[in-house]
Amino acid sequence: MTTIERRVVLAAALGLTVALPTAPAFAAIDAARAATFIQGTGTDLVGAINSSAPVQQRRERVAGLLRRAVDIESVGRFILGRFWRTATPAEQQEYTRLFEETLIHNLASRFGEYQGVKFTLGRSQANTEDDVMVSTTIERPNTAAFTLDWRVAEVGGQPRIIDMIAEGTSLRLTQRSEYASVIQRNNGQVSALLAAMRQQITQMRANER
Amino acid sequence: MRFISTRHLLAFAALALAGLGGCATRPPADDPDALAEYHQTNDPVEPLNRTMYSVHQGLDEYLLRPVAVGYRAVVPTPVRMGLRNFLGNLRTPVVLANDILQGEPRRAGDTAGRFLVNSTLGIGGLIDVARDHFDLPPHNEDYGQTFATWGIGEGPYLFVPLIGPSNARDLVGFGIGIVADPFFWFGQGVVVEALGYSRVGATAVDTREGLIETLDDVQRTSLDPYATLRSGYRQRRAAEIGNRLDRRPGPVTPPAGAAPAR
Repeated sequence: MTTIERRVVLAAALGLTVALPTAPAFAAIDAARAATFIQGTGTDLVGAINSSAPVQQRRERVAGLLRRAVDIESVGRFILGRFWRTATPAEQQEYTRLFEETLIHNLASRFGEYQGVKFTLGRSQANTEDDVMVSTTIERPNTAAFTLDWRVAEVGGQPRIIDMIAEGTSLRLTQRSEYASVIQRNNGQVSALLAAMRQQITQMRANER
Repeated sequence: MRFISTRHLLAFAALALAGLGGCATRPPADDPDALAEYHQTNDPVEPLNRTMYSVHQGLDEYLLRPVAVGYRAVVPTPVRMGLRNFLGNLRTPVVLANDILQGEPRRAGDTAGRFLVNSTLGIGGLIDVARDHFDLPPHNEDYGQTFATWGIGEGPYLFVPLIGPSNARDLVGFGIGIVADPFFWFGQGVVVEALGYSRVGATAVDTREGLIETLDDVQRTSLDPYATLRSGYRQRRAAEIGNRLDRRPGPVTPPAGAAPAR
């Protein structure tokens, strides 16, 4: 981590503590507990994706699972990064809502291609003081298996997913870069990002099958 | 790859350095956040890179991707895997050289072992016997990674049509990887020449085939695919340099209730 990155992470953590003074941001989490949590969440997700229920029902199930398993609010805030501060309270609220929807519809629009998905739990180890990296292998019929690592932290007494890492690439870092670029190319307007997100959600809805 | 000559690389580098395509404006010093981001994306020639990216996307849409999709549709999986193993085996001398240059005797031993086993028992590299039966999984090394372990910085981010995301350091490493490859110098004449070009073509098609899902995904889900690829490339390279990607199958963590992990 470069000094800049560390400072950004620190700032993000600070921002979180200030916003939620009563709850400590992340408490240390035990590797075995994190593994159990991912095992459970993964089994539920795979079950929902592979079920024969109509797509709308499956999406609702996945939405519920993601809301419980992912620390959506703080991940979303991390991704918006420095633009969280320049956004108006209304924009912040709208962003968090759109971010959650993006997450859900993104997965729901792939139900088709993920049919028959299986996952196997690998090793898990402490990542930093506050979080654990749980490794899984994702297998799909006729596709090469790949490794997906889940970063799990304890938030408000519950284990929560705070990042996913595939092939050395952190999803939230990549997405932060993407969103920052969209805002920058639109003269620093957060509203431009929100518009793009809205349009994307409409497109993803159309692909749900 | 011979069709991208060193001269082209140099020309591109010169173009990038001269900033003929324009430079990204450096943010003023009184905006530390913007400045931090400018350093983090490491993309001072972004306007030029974005132009190169559109050129590449055009080639990809009408040539590279369709060929890769057709290859996957026509050639059965076992044959494709065989070819991938074969091409990987041809690359092992370069991987070995870099293992040694990085002072990694154990990994160098793995690589040498892989080359011996796969070239013989694996029928000239078609079957990855080393991975499947000798617990010697492949790993990737190149000159860009070696330079990084020697402490050489990545230089500006560069997007090169046909090659994709790169940077000054990795691009130089890429060029050295071509001329330092023993197979590049092995023999001469029409047949050898033809084999060389076939290898370049096969490598390009095989690589693109392996990336169909990943790149489709970026195009479909990203609000700015250029920025996503840039971030993804830089993170992935950092992981490769730190040898964080190759892992042997490790012990599975027992769920809570069993013996504590770690």
